[in-house]
Amino acid sequence: MTAIREISLGEAMKEALAEEMRRDDDVFLLGVSIRAGTFLHTKGLVEEFGERRVLDTPLSEPGGVGTAFGAAQEGLRPVLDFMYAGFAYFAGSEVFIQAGQYHFLHGSKHPLPMTLIGTCGVGRRVANEHATLPYGALIHHPGIKVCLPSTPYDAKGLLKAAIRDNNPVFFLWHTSLMALKGPVPTDEYIVPIGVADVKRAGTDVTVLTSGLQVHHSLKAAEAVSSEISVEVIDVRSFEPFDLPCLLNSVTKTTRLVVVDEDFERGGFAAEIAAQMMEHGYDLLDAPVRRVCHPHMPVPGGYIDAYSMPTPARIEAAIRDVCR
Amino acid sequence: MPTKPRGASAQETLTRDHKRLLYRNLVRAMTLDRMMMRIIRAGKMVGFYHEGGIALAPGVAAGTFLRRDDAMNPHYRAHGIAHMIAKGVDIQSYVAEHMGRVDGCAKGRSSFHVSYPEDHIFGWSANIGANFPPCIGYGFAARYRSTDQVVMNCSGDGSYQEGRAHEALLMTANWHLPVIFWCENNGIAQSSALSDLFPIADISRLAAGYGIPALMVDGQDLLACGEAALAAIAHARAGKGPIFVELKTLRSQEHNVGGLNNEGAHTRDPALMQKWRDTRDPLTLATARLLKDQVLTEAEVADLQLEADREAAAIEVHCEASPKATPSIDELMAGVYAP
Ligand SMILES: Cc1ncc(C[n+]2csc(CCOP(=O)(O)OP(=O)(O)O)c2C)c(N)n1
Repeated sequence: MTAIREISLGEAMKEALAEEMRRDDDVFLLGVSIRAGTFLHTKGLVEEFGERRVLDTPLSEPGGVGTAFGAAQEGLRPVLDFMYAGFAYFAGSEVFIQAGQYHFLHGSKHPLPMTLIGTCGVGRRVANEHATLPYGALIHHPGIKVCLPSTPYDAKGLLKAAIRDNNPVFFLWHTSLMALKGPVPTDEYIVPIGVADVKRAGTDVTVLTSGLQVHHSLKAAEAVSSEISVEVIDVRSFEPFDLPCLLNSVTKTTRLVVVDEDFERGGFAAEIAAQMMEHGYDLLDAPVRRVCHPHMPVPGGYIDAYSMPTPARIEAAIRDVCR
Repeated sequence: MPTKPRGASAQETLTRDHKRLLYRNLVRAMTLDRMMMRIIRAGKMVGFYHEGGIALAPGVAAGTFLRRDDAMNPHYRAHGIAHMIAKGVDIQSYVAEHMGRVDGCAKGRSSFHVSYPEDHIFGWSANIGANFPPCIGYGFAARYRSTDQVVMNCSGDGSYQEGRAHEALLMTANWHLPVIFWCENNGIAQSSALSDLFPIADISRLAAGYGIPALMVDGQDLLACGEAALAAIAHARAGKGPIFVELKTLRSQEHNVGGLNNEGAHTRDPALMQKWRDTRDPLTLATARLLKDQVLTEAEVADLQLEADREAAAIEVHCEASPKATPSIDELMAGVYAP
């Protein structure tokens, strides 16, 4: 019988990992201090699955990704946890180039079922390295799928989809949402990669966003709700990207604000604005607006609370395109 | 614990003044570490803190005998405060940085990043192991300009798990650069035991593979750490190339304030850590030794602690008086590129 409980996003991820590890002995987990459960999503997994399948790696990111890469080529289904996604840049070549190009450049003959996990996000006050959101850089490099959930439900379903995918998938989660609670059914389900989700329906303007900014956008939508009807789309996957969902929405609303916590320059928001121009210029009644992190390193201290997109900045952009 | 140099050429002895200086710096370092703990527990720090506890003798020794123009990468434990005060850096603005104040060394925008270029402490990254490549560059610059500057490259056992460490050993050995690999080995990285991550217990054994001489020292023994620092600095300053110093130390508390204290799935035994604090505290050990050797008197010991308490209190008061840094985005954007 289906039951629905309130669990945190980190616990939802742990359920996804545990279910996939029970289902398939080829799935194993490696990363820095994951046996201790530095974060919620791996806590206790070594007790159930043993040290053969839950491995602490040295601080050797290229070695860790290489292990996953090679093991996946040999048919295993590794899940590598970076702790913070920014640490993935230490394995830049393996993550950004080699993982994505492998299948294509070797004749599209052999799958590469590897999942990379890393937390990211602005607002923890410790500046750039821990905040780094790598999705803009990742989607620039073909061949690797990228997702970022905003709810426990989506986190569990997407992570299961990532592990079952026959391609490299970078599963990002947001540090400020680790402990966010939400309803998750006990019955098994999958959230497919590449399908966006309308988190709030509206008719005047579309706000397309992800992760923590889904929550900021919902707040902004609520704040203007007596005057403006806002539709909030959670992309969930940056690559592949659900363009039909966006075009359907803008057909109705005729206006688009893209909220992106990553740096402004050459990022996901810029990509969406370009796709909108190419595929839906005629649908628009106003220019596309971006609300991003300014093009400077993410600061710490008291500053990141306002340098990142805030509900107030999103509200201002919504009002601006609806003038 | 072996303390004999293995293959290192220089042998140095500490003078009475050296010992007194080391001791004074250790008192200050441990007092400032407790001050940082007070600040974070009072909710006045932005970001995190990684307590130094009883692991600060290596850092104090690393800094005490350096010149101002010697480059240093402080190990991040206790956020490098032991290393920096010993080198003579005024760290008040670094404490202000941790409190997000305008007087911060990075203008309050950076939480824990050190920035003392005038002291040849250029900064660091939260990415463990990021210290190694620039340290090659500091050594290279000294060689290029034919100065006798040395590079004190301090980091933990965790950092030697990164490939970057091995590249730095290779390049500094190959180019004969004046870099001291100062490895503060506490046997643990975040929540994993070193024995789970590294096939050998003595990281300094890596040095031999690159033809780099190595020393191994009891990191709880302040004077042994000091002797090793003098020897290593003399070696590098004399143009004999890189040298490796491994200092065995202890982490007697959780990785970061509020974080875990595990070795894999197992919680570390609090009784064991209490035993370390009771029997291996470098300050307790050094006090007994220096009193016995009549390098210090009881009254001097008490005075030094009083002086350190005053220093910490003054820093705290100053930083709290500094306004919180909340610059406009335009102001910040103007700081992305050097003019
Ligand atoms: C590239 C990278 N990987 C992982 C981490 C997470 N992390 C922060 S500190 C740390 C342990 C470092 O251990 P060590 O260098 O031995 O210093 P210690 O904490 O023991 O003093 C880890 C794994 C990080 N900051 N950077």
